[in-house]
Amino acid sequence: MKIGLEMHFQLPTRSKLFCSCPTSSAAPNHNVCPVCLGYPGSRPSLNRKALEIGVSIARFMNCKMEEKVWFSRKTYFYPDLVKNFQITQYESPLGTDGHFEVNGRRIGIWRVHLEEDPGRIKRVGRSGEEIAFVDYNRSGIPLVEIVTAPDLTSPEEARDFIDQLIIELRSLCGLEAQDEQSIRVDANISMGQERVEVKNVQGLKNLERALRFESVRQSKLLAADKKVVRETRRYDEERKVTMPARDKETEEDYGYIGEPDLGEYRIGEMARSLDLKETPLARARRLVSAHGVNETTAKQLVLTSSSLTDLFEELCRVVPPEKAVTWTMGPISSNWSALQRPELWPELASIVRADADGSLTDNEAKRRILSLAGVKQEEAGPESSDLIMIIVEYVEAHPEVLADYRKNPKAANMVIGHVMKESKGRHSSKEVVEEVKKELDKRV
Amino acid sequence: MSASVTSSLMRLAQQRYRAFVETVDHLDDAKFHFSAKDNLCAVGFQARAGSAILEGYVPPFDATPIRRLKDAGGQLIGKTTMDEFGFGTFSVNSAHGVPLNPFDITRSCGGSSGGAGAAACLIPGHVALGVSTGGSISGPACFCGVVGLSPTYGRVSRYGLIDYGNSLDKVGLLARSASLVREHFRTIAGPDPKDPTSCAQPTLPDKGRRPDSLAIPTEALTNLDPAVRKGFQEAVGRLKDMGVQVKEISMPSLRFAMPAYYILATSEASTNLARYCGMRFGRREEELNQHFNDFFTGVRSVSFGDEAKRRILLGTYCRMVGFRSRYYLKSLAVRQMLIEKYRKIFQEHQAVLTPTMPFIAPRFEEISRMKPLEMYGADFLTIPPNLTGMPHISLPCAYVDGLPIGMQLVSDHWHEMDLLEMASVWEGAFEYHHPEVRL
Repeated sequence: MKIGLEMHFQLPTRSKLFCSCPTSSAAPNHNVCPVCLGYPGSRPSLNRKALEIGVSIARFMNCKMEEKVWFSRKTYFYPDLVKNFQITQYESPLGTDGHFEVNGRRIGIWRVHLEEDPGRIKRVGRSGEEIAFVDYNRSGIPLVEIVTAPDLTSPEEARDFIDQLIIELRSLCGLEAQDEQSIRVDANISMGQERVEVKNVQGLKNLERALRFESVRQSKLLAADKKVVRETRRYDEERKVTMPARDKETEEDYGYIGEPDLGEYRIGEMARSLDLKETPLARARRLVSAHGVNETTAKQLVLTSSSLTDLFEELCRVVPPEKAVTWTMGPISSNWSALQRPELWPELASIVRADADGSLTDNEAKRRILSLAGVKQEEAGPESSDLIMIIVEYVEAHPEVLADYRKNPKAANMVIGHVMKESKGRHSSKEVVEEVKKELDKRV
Repeated sequence: MSASVTSSLMRLAQQRYRAFVETVDHLDDAKFHFSAKDNLCAVGFQARAGSAILEGYVPPFDATPIRRLKDAGGQLIGKTTMDEFGFGTFSVNSAHGVPLNPFDITRSCGGSSGGAGAAACLIPGHVALGVSTGGSISGPACFCGVVGLSPTYGRVSRYGLIDYGNSLDKVGLLARSASLVREHFRTIAGPDPKDPTSCAQPTLPDKGRRPDSLAIPTEALTNLDPAVRKGFQEAVGRLKDMGVQVKEISMPSLRFAMPAYYILATSEASTNLARYCGMRFGRREEELNQHFNDFFTGVRSVSFGDEAKRRILLGTYCRMVGFRSRYYLKSLAVRQMLIEKYRKIFQEHQAVLTPTMPFIAPRFEEISRMKPLEMYGADFLTIPPNLTGMPHISLPCAYVDGLPIGMQLVSDHWHEMDLLEMASVWEGAFEYHHPEVRL
């Protein structure tokens, strides 16, 4: 199975791509001006910030960066498109030929480019008597389009790809919290020779369903020795099926020409001078390779908090990584709001080191950490945190149990048995079961 | 001149010569008066660009050149007649009447800034904002016997100009004298953040340098009306007497300018005109209760003129997959090549000199017999500098049977002031005629 994705993300700018209208929400047709309404005589001027963010995304995706870029007009007639052409990048995307790693697999990135969003059409009234309203508040909102190679091999992987990409882009450039329901994706999928494009699928859940439906449909055709027709289809969310799209948009000839009003932009220097910060999943991969931390823990750590990860890396300098994991994911993580002040970190580090070289017992170390966090010991229930320590240590040492647990919740019994033995009946079985499940669920 | 005389001349220009499509009611005596071609947006006026499809469109903003002239103490007294969206050489492709030549009302003013040429000719002291894409300032200046300056592409902001071909459009000026043009050119020139293509220009110098060596491409002297050839040769003789060196050179690549120009201009125009679909602004008489494709097709079929439709078809064709690289992309290369040819000439000469139009202002009956290609051919001398974005000026240089003949000077990018310097010197040696009009 081969899947390629075409995704659009809104860039986090305050104003639109070619005018100074705000990108915030407003009553219909209130964030508009002559430029984003395409009035005769108005013309675009590029939002530098959007260009910068676009360039940083392209570089982050490991693209080959262009020295200079320009914009193009993609002409088609539609009521939500104010000029009946969209300003986009055709011959000169910001970057090409990049890659992005998902679950350890490298997925090719064909291109990253900027373009403007059209308006939105809202239909009201009974079918057959509908009235269409157009809201142009979104007209001219800056988007980045990312196109992947058909390297994805399953609907699940496609979903993971977007999930992880969003995590990274959010941290890289403050990408708006694009919830899973709002993202729109075009996907190419082929089970044999011919590919089918499923256009404009909204939301990750729908994308996964649409791809699954399409893979089954194509497989059945191929099994019956029938041909898959190369076509554009759309996903019907209610019936959960894909259907041939009414208008054959791909067959259309967009008649691209350069956008003469915008000229050329030299982005080579900008791209080279940008200082990209380390994104969470890239950091997780580094933790795995540098400290031998298991992948799930590393991900959980970076997604919990970047400052917690900072502390973890500090601890790694004084104690072996598995110790650092145990303490960070255990009592430190549980009391993070109190311990996140960096001035407490040297003290934390010395406690953890003392525990590691044997000069403190685990219990004493724990007690000191909790007191550093200002937790009253009687209420804190050292037994319960002792319980968590045992669970965390075991799970860290046996990542295969966690992998099992994903598919089969009964795998938790392995952990429960171990903990009962270790804690020598100090805890009720109900308590142990609850804590184990809690800890495992946190990591899945 | 008193406001009342100007006012009478303005009415006359509007009613008898159809130079204006809209005017103000009262002239402000304390201000200087200017007009704008109808494709420049101004608050309080319709901006219809000669097209029925923009009927009733009153833009909510001023075009930057208009804004700047107002700020400098000018009053916009009216909008001038033009070919629909600038598509034409004789201003006959207008939905709002055809302007008549002040020298002879049976003849054309030229186009597409025909109304601007007539207004500049009829009203002393008047300055008319015109727009040139392929010769739309030079042509009317020539036929109406006035000075017409088309600046370097990017010298004057196009914010507020209703587009024809964005990589070619230039806002310029027409007036009776070079000094008038110079004064107001300084006002409208200069960078404007609302038009990024205006932001890379060098500062306009205080004074130009009079060109002392001119080149005439021999290719420009073929296919001329004998009267134009004779008048032009006399003007060349006069220039030589003034001590200017004039040398004939060969520039065979000039012939590629016309096809390249029409491909680029119509390709861009066909996308620019896509926005006229009966929504958001302009005319909307079609039944709303139908499929969008039928709706906008209906609006466009009824409201666009024949020439607009011809250019949309031509441009759309040139952009199609398969033809794009053969036509559109190749034309971009031709433009670059021509710029280099001109540059080579400018190493030895300061300007290129040719007649402006190959014939004197034609009669409307002659125009009605011309085929589209013959009409396009009339621009063969004005298209090359327009295609290459080089500044050019058309000056009256001779008269035949009382009708003006024009010559056109082209200089390197950003050298408008040199052209104006030359024009001033020329005006010291040659007196312009203006038609007598009875009020």
